[in-house]
Amino acid sequence: MEQRVNRDVGAGATDSDPDAELMVRVRDGDAASFGALLDKHRMPVVHFLYRMIQNRAVAEELAQEVFLRVYRSRATYEPTAKFTTWMFRIATHLALNSLRDGKHERTQEHLDQSSGDLPARQVPDGRPSVEQSMVNQARLGEVRRAVAALPEKQRAAVLMHKYQEMEYKQIAEVLGCSESAVKSLLFRAYETLRARLAHMA
Amino acid sequence: MKCPMETGQNEILLAYSSGDANAGDVLFLDGHVPGCAACRAFVEAQRTVWDALDVWEAAPVASDFNRQVFQRIDGQVSWWQRMLRSFEPLGLRPGITLAASAGVILMAGLLIQRAPAPLPVPQRDTAQMETVQPEQLVLALDEMEALSQLSRPVHAEKANSEM
Repeated sequence: MEQRVNRDVGAGATDSDPDAELMVRVRDGDAASFGALLDKHRMPVVHFLYRMIQNRAVAEELAQEVFLRVYRSRATYEPTAKFTTWMFRIATHLALNSLRDGKHERTQEHLDQSSGDLPARQVPDGRPSVEQSMVNQARLGEVRRAVAALPEKQRAAVLMHKYQEMEYKQIAEVLGCSESAVKSLLFRAYETLRARLAHMA
Repeated sequence: MKCPMETGQNEILLAYSSGDANAGDVLFLDGHVPGCAACRAFVEAQRTVWDALDVWEAAPVASDFNRQVFQRIDGQVSWWQRMLRSFEPLGLRPGITLAASAGVILMAGLLIQRAPAPLPVPQRDTAQMETVQPEQLVLALDEMEALSQLSRPVHAEKANSEM
């Protein structure tokens, strides 16, 4: 009975969340739906983990672990929250554990080096000049250092707010705290970033 | 609506500076911000942060990412599940697949039970002789001669007693 109630709730939840619907299909044995989830979400998950940890290899490894855990949990999956909330909860948990274990420090990419990240602004009529490239890389390095200097939870909140465009409520569900706590995290984080990046105006 | 900086509603200014504020807030702030130094400074500084964060686009994900995920999933599959999978191409329902697998195991067990016991390897008669060293043979012969000498006086005594 409880399961039927949950499925009824789940049916409503999947109406507004196509990812949850795909995950329900994975639960029911549809492997192709898992592939679809993988195709849709691997980039945001990898990018989130990379910006959290700033080590590409570790970020991809952790991202694989995220999807492995999603797959492993398929039998007991119930769409009680948005699929992305659940997925980013796993990702954040793994990222915070990795940061606390210090695993990323052994091979951490030097924040001054070009890591293959792409500066978004380029001269529209062709390749940027060497000077412009150097300026872009310098700015990118400053941004990376500023984000890396944030406390872990503030960092996670900013990355979800800015790059995943999550609302406060969803960020709160991912971090397991209240909305007012998320607002406080973001307020302090952006205050720090405003001070640190003001010269880039 | 009051000045967000005075009321501590920074999230409204955050949304406004990123272009995500609702229509009502936009209408108010479009008129308020230019005349409020605190709000104006906040919005300008926050837009600098948004622009700076926009610079950071992460590189593409590895092309074999999906393959690695599936490889890790397959690595977690137990031998039992792999065996069940081998019947899946037949399009059988899971219950029948399970029964078929059980049948295969049962047949294997019966075959193992019925396999004839290996015949004992017959011992070769020459085996013992091959292990006897020459010194041991000499010693054995000496002992046999000694035994035969021991038995002679007994026969002699018997003969004397009969006489």
